Amino acid sequence: MRTKHGGKEFCMFALPGLFCFLAVVIVPFIYGVYLTLTDWDGVASVKNFVGLENFGGVMRDSQFWTSLLLTFKYVVFVVVIVNVIAFAIAYLLTRGIKGQNFFRAGFFTPNLIGGIVLGYIWQFVFSRVFVSIGETTGWKLFEASWLSDPTNAFVALVVVSVWQLSGYMILIYVAGFMGLNEDVMEAASIDGATGWVKLKSIILPLMMSSITICLFLTLSRAFMVYDVNLSLTGGAPYGTTEMAAMHVYEKAFTSRQFGVGQAEALILFIIVAVISGLQVYLTKKQEVEA
Amino acid sequence: MKKRFASRVLTLGIAAALMLTMLTGCGVRFGFASDPDDPNEEEKTVPIDTSIDTFEYDTSLEGTSITLLNSKAEIQTALEEMGKVFEEKSGVHVEVMPVTDGDSPYTKVVSLYNSGTPPTLMILDTTDVIALAEEKGEDLSGEPWTAQAEGYLTTVNGKVYSFPLCIEGRGIIYNQKVIEDALGETFDPKTIQTQDDFVELLDRLVDAGIEKPISLAKDDWSVGAHHLQYIYETYDGTSDGAAEAIEEIKAGDLDLNKYDRMSEFLDMFDILKKYNVAKADPLGADYDEMAIDLVDGKTAFWFNGNWAWPNLQDAGAEEDEAYGFLPYFMNNDPDDFANQKIQASPSKQVMLDGQVATEEEKAAAKEFLNWIVFSEIGQQMLVKTCNIIPPFQNNPYEPSDPLSKNIYEQVHAGTTFNASAIVPNDHWSVLGAAMQKYMADRCDRKELIRDIEDYWAEQE
Repeated sequence: MRTKHGGKEFCMFALPGLFCFLAVVIVPFIYGVYLTLTDWDGVASVKNFVGLENFGGVMRDSQFWTSLLLTFKYVVFVVVIVNVIAFAIAYLLTRGIKGQNFFRAGFFTPNLIGGIVLGYIWQFVFSRVFVSIGETTGWKLFEASWLSDPTNAFVALVVVSVWQLSGYMILIYVAGFMGLNEDVMEAASIDGATGWVKLKSIILPLMMSSITICLFLTLSRAFMVYDVNLSLTGGAPYGTTEMAAMHVYEKAFTSRQFGVGQAEALILFIIVAVISGLQVYLTKKQEVEA
Repeated sequence: MKKRFASRVLTLGIAAALMLTMLTGCGVRFGFASDPDDPNEEEKTVPIDTSIDTFEYDTSLEGTSITLLNSKAEIQTALEEMGKVFEEKSGVHVEVMPVTDGDSPYTKVVSLYNSGTPPTLMILDTTDVIALAEEKGEDLSGEPWTAQAEGYLTTVNGKVYSFPLCIEGRGIIYNQKVIEDALGETFDPKTIQTQDDFVELLDRLVDAGIEKPISLAKDDWSVGAHHLQYIYETYDGTSDGAAEAIEEIKAGDLDLNKYDRMSEFLDMFDILKKYNVAKADPLGADYDEMAIDLVDGKTAFWFNGNWAWPNLQDAGAEEDEAYGFLPYFMNNDPDDFANQKIQASPSKQVMLDGQVATEEEKAAAKEFLNWIVFSEIGQQMLVKTCNIIPPFQNNPYEPSDPLSKNIYEQVHAGTTFNASAIVPNDHWSVLGAAMQKYMADRCDRKELIRDIEDYWAEQE
């Protein structure tokens, strides 16, 4: 039966999807890889094959490696803080506290605002609101705009990203907590498991599937951060907060080194793919069935 | 009970969402109104006299349709208006496409070319024209308007590929009333001829109660392009000279540590830094606040160009008030042209597509350009509707806002120098960052100069 209709069904259901996937994902990707081997500047009608020269350009581009390092730092902070906060809040919001639905909606709202707009709102907060608070109260912390100091600007980026991403992750964790089997919880309680032990030995293993998803989402989103970076700091002060994705864009379109930018994008892709692949593999292994 | 709770949550959610939307509005307005090109700006329409029109239209072009890519957002509505009038007169339809925020004109043109639908005409920056001209542009050397734009044409290997749309000038904007009120005497900008004169004036203003009389934008396009490029442009005050200076720096023949324009420029920049109203946190300076400060008299000077007028107007400045430009004083020699003249040169160029456009479209586009220069209506619209300083000698109209008017008058009085440095496209962003570092006292002159040299060493 299956073999008889397989071909026809495949053509009917899978082929359109497969075609779209090929056309908008695979073909541009392969074309992109091809472009890294040429000296195309985005305009010229001839593309000369230059071999691995663009990758040599990537090696020489010290700014790219600095921005990549900064991105790693950013990813570590964002992934850890977002997941800890989201997990904790989701835990609180599934214990039946008063108004928990309102809180869930509230925490999720930042995620509904696009990154660009969000960046501008927070830019206003950091460089105007905080400064005027600093002026009235004399607090050293708010004396100057956070965005004009490299360390503070980085902190600002992390704060805003955490604020934006947490809501989404809370949603996933909440779903995870709601799906926990009451029987198992009750059994654990009867067996005398409380507080920390219950969390560590019962809840965490059962929540592993949510954690896998959340880690994957935060990892890939943090690595590819561009919009918040662009609108909040724009790389300022003096280029110290330029993340990898932004640097790639600048390289390709502002510096007009299309090939080098494309090669950097490819390297970034490989790094993100390997790290998130590894993460999914490792956390999947931890997943258990109730 | 449960239902009531759910609906309460819903209402609260909606209320929260609404509040956030309001916040969003505020955020965009106050936090980032620094975009000088606000396309939503309501323009007052200046009446155009259409009774006289001696321009000869080519009737065979009627019904042709051309597209114009506009990268100068503040004249979007004005250009649409112009296109409409031109269509009424000539029968050629002009579709004006804006470059949306976040796209650079170059990126936009490149993507349009790659999708096979380039605009017939495109308004670009000079650097972009030079990058694209020979590959994509139509040779315009033989066009009649070239005779009217003497001194303002950009050539690539001896050929003209672009139509200079406007002259833009920059310098130290002063608010005459603020200075006069503070000092209690009339202020004649001509009396300020050297760096020392300027410092003396600043000190007098400080004594008169204006604690920090200067606004200094921290944006990379300002410090990286408008400030720093003086070191090339004042080489000898011509575009050729600027190109020569750049070549010499690239080749390592011009040592920036010994180049007098470099140290003179930094001397002036240090003065601006010292009297900067945001001296405590120069990189936290806000562009909109600078316009407000200048109009309100908290400061008396702002380093910027005539494109800043819409910002000043938003901040409450009126067209009959006196604003003008002082030169970027480089030293104490009153005979040095850099201390006498302000920089003003054509900034936006219109290029005609020579690759995809049909002969008819090309002819229609050329007619449109000639119409702007030679028809009475086009001349008026360029100046009055677009509020542009025309680079064409035969255009008798004067711009109305004080900044453009000041540039216009100085161009005609011969107190401007026409030099524009053609630098790589990332010059403003890469060296803008280096300048910001210097501005925030995070590096010294030596390191800044090294950054500049490193940048040029990397260019091919």
